[in-house]
Amino acid sequence: MKAWAGLAARLVVGGVWIYAGAIKLPDPDQSVAAVRAYELLPGETAVTVGHLLPVLEVVVGAMLVLGVLVRGAAVVSALLFVVFIIGIASVWSRGIEIDCGCFGGGGYDPDATSKYPWEIARDVVLLALSLFLVWLPRSRWALDNLLLRSTEDADAPVEEVEELEGS
Amino acid sequence: MSKKSKAEERAAKAAAALAERKRKERRRNLLTIGAVVLAMVVIVAVGFLINQSRDEKADEGVAAASSTYEVSIGDEDAPNEVVIYEDFLCPICQGLEAATRDQLAQLADEGQVRVSYRPFNLFSQEGDPRKEYSVAAAAVFAVVLDTSGPEVAKELHDLLYENQPSEAGPFPSEDDLVGLAVEAGADEADVREGLENGDGEDWVEKATAAANDLGINSTPTIYLNGEEFRDGRTMEELAANLVAAVS
Repeated sequence: MKAWAGLAARLVVGGVWIYAGAIKLPDPDQSVAAVRAYELLPGETAVTVGHLLPVLEVVVGAMLVLGVLVRGAAVVSALLFVVFIIGIASVWSRGIEIDCGCFGGGGYDPDATSKYPWEIARDVVLLALSLFLVWLPRSRWALDNLLLRSTEDADAPVEEVEELEGS
Repeated sequence: MSKKSKAEERAAKAAAALAERKRKERRRNLLTIGAVVLAMVVIVAVGFLINQSRDEKADEGVAAASSTYEVSIGDEDAPNEVVIYEDFLCPICQGLEAATRDQLAQLADEGQVRVSYRPFNLFSQEGDPRKEYSVAAAAVFAVVLDTSGPEVAKELHDLLYENQPSEAGPFPSEDDLVGLAVEAGADEADVREGLENGDGEDWVEKATAAANDLGINSTPTIYLNGEEFRDGRTMEELAANLVAAVS
């Protein structure tokens, strides 16, 4: 049951990451502008982050969907959501009205203030799903199951040995 | 050898074999994890570099080179050259304008800098409610530049930013814009004629195409001495750093 829940969490979070990253990939300049609009990163850092983020999002998303190193990918995913939640909360509290640039776009948006709570709520849900995967990374249909043969398979002989020792 | 010790021996062997197998397995898993992590890092790094190279705005030198679609202040031989791509409706452009205009004008007077303002239509997507005003304002600017020369055009440029509407509207009418042109010192009949025969919009279309060809799709985009200037976390910092850089 938990393994199926893990699969669902992977597909939802991974799917969102792939979509969010892929939609930003064609326009790196727009992505930089979206990061810059947060007015948080000094100087040229916003440029680097703007170029890096879409790629990172797609890779983390693909890792989750395919089930490659799920725990690691989920940790990165959770950290990114924490950063995004802080970012949105920060612009909200400073009264800056911008499109979060989560799925492309970005920059000034006159209706932004009414959208911030929903954006944060969405990110909190995705953060929770990511944390679930950090906690229980094993799930159905994951490449990890082929890639990393569990040492649990070896548990049976251990018991056998203990039994022998006890005899 | 007692039965018991035989059993013990067998158990010890089995335990050793198991420990060995487990050790190997852990080693193999660690190697797999390491390899996958490395592969992911390489993919991200390559993607990042590709993204970076794609964002190089055409050639910065070309973008900063002279253009027909501009109004400039300051001496052509000034030691510093600033180029600002802007939209009359862009609020950050207005902020930058308010924070740098007087300083840049003074530095231009002192021969420190030449500043070229290049308005174009940033909001050029069909159906964007901001497009109409953005085009109209730049069109009036273009006609004034053509009919009354750069000094009046710069004056109108400043007035357009002083009277910038909200991006959400309501937007001034064409008559309001012509009124600003007259206030700047342009001849009303000339301005109206230029707007009616489409000269203004034609100019805006070309200026926008020129900016788009250079990959400029956000405003303000600033060039200082041929390189894009992005040093600042906020518009205020950007403005202060720009003025400091040319002072």
